[in-house]
Amino acid sequence: MKKLTREEIKYIDNYLIKSKVKYWDVRVELLDHIASAVEEKIEKEGISFNEALLEVHQSFGNSTEVYGIYHGKLLKEGLYADNNGFKKFERQKQRSIGRKLRKAHWQELKNLMFTPKFLLEFTAFGIISYYGFNFYPKVSSTLVLGLLMLPLFFSALHSIKDKVSKRSLNITMSSGIIMLAWSLYNMVFQLFVMLNKDQDNKPYYILFITAILLYPIMRSSTNTYFKYYNKYKNIFSKLTN
Amino acid sequence: MANSKLYKGSLTTIILKLLNESDKMYGYEITQKVKEITKGELKITEGALYPALHKLEADGLLEVEMKKVDNRLRKYYKLTEKGNKETVNKLNELQEYIKTMQILVNPKFGLE
Repeated sequence: MKKLTREEIKYIDNYLIKSKVKYWDVRVELLDHIASAVEEKIEKEGISFNEALLEVHQSFGNSTEVYGIYHGKLLKEGLYADNNGFKKFERQKQRSIGRKLRKAHWQELKNLMFTPKFLLEFTAFGIISYYGFNFYPKVSSTLVLGLLMLPLFFSALHSIKDKVSKRSLNITMSSGIIMLAWSLYNMVFQLFVMLNKDQDNKPYYILFITAILLYPIMRSSTNTYFKYYNKYKNIFSKLTN
Repeated sequence: MANSKLYKGSLTTIILKLLNESDKMYGYEITQKVKEITKGELKITEGALYPALHKLEADGLLEVEMKKVDNRLRKYYKLTEKGNKETVNKLNELQEYIKTMQILVNPKFGLE
């Protein structure tokens, strides 16, 4: 079987980038399928690399027509005429990642609640914050808010500085879990503020209750994010080595 | 696919069955295996295969392994323990369906 050269593989990767498949973890799967299909077409049908690539491009549901004009025979025009098949592929992948993430997060939360180490940590967090809020409310509020915002800070930092995260659909979506937990925290906090008429006399009380109630969710979302981050960082290192 | 509407409902069962018979497979290999077994009668399109694979993965029936092969990364799919159990259920379901369809398509009239 004819194997594609490193340059040909690079050409397919660039073609996918030009076709707006911007996430590397989406491209990896497409690239292997396209390369395998091109190799087989060259071998069995005796056609050229360009012809084979154009046929595989169409097999993903991408058209080679622009405004009704057939561009199939012209490689570059045909290849970049339309990327609807890839768009559909990416949308579908997003849905399945979302589904997988929700399940992984829920499983993480269930596991945490039965882990003695976490229960000890949760109890310690509760006791320390209780005394902190009673004796040093301002300092404690700042510390607790800082602690709860730490995962947000890390995921934001990864998305800015880290090229693995920047263009990974899995990591981008898993950081959404942290955002979701933070939004939930804000929602519950606002709800308590609305329901508690005595809030002026107990300004830190609501913050304390909300932090305790949602601590397990913040923790499980952080764990889920870092699991995804490490997993895809590991895959990315295989890709670049 | 030869008749996509008829085969569509059985796609996940076909994938599970193939993975049950081999240790691990990658996307393109699955399409080729189906084509080979059915002598070209059934062709799984990319647009149908990957959504099915991703859904099975999200449901915890498949697990994934990445390996570097021929200057690129390859994503191998293999059945999880849950996937193995589900394959048995799905195959039983499909066999029941085929039996029912045979009764419907070839009804035997007779004096009973």
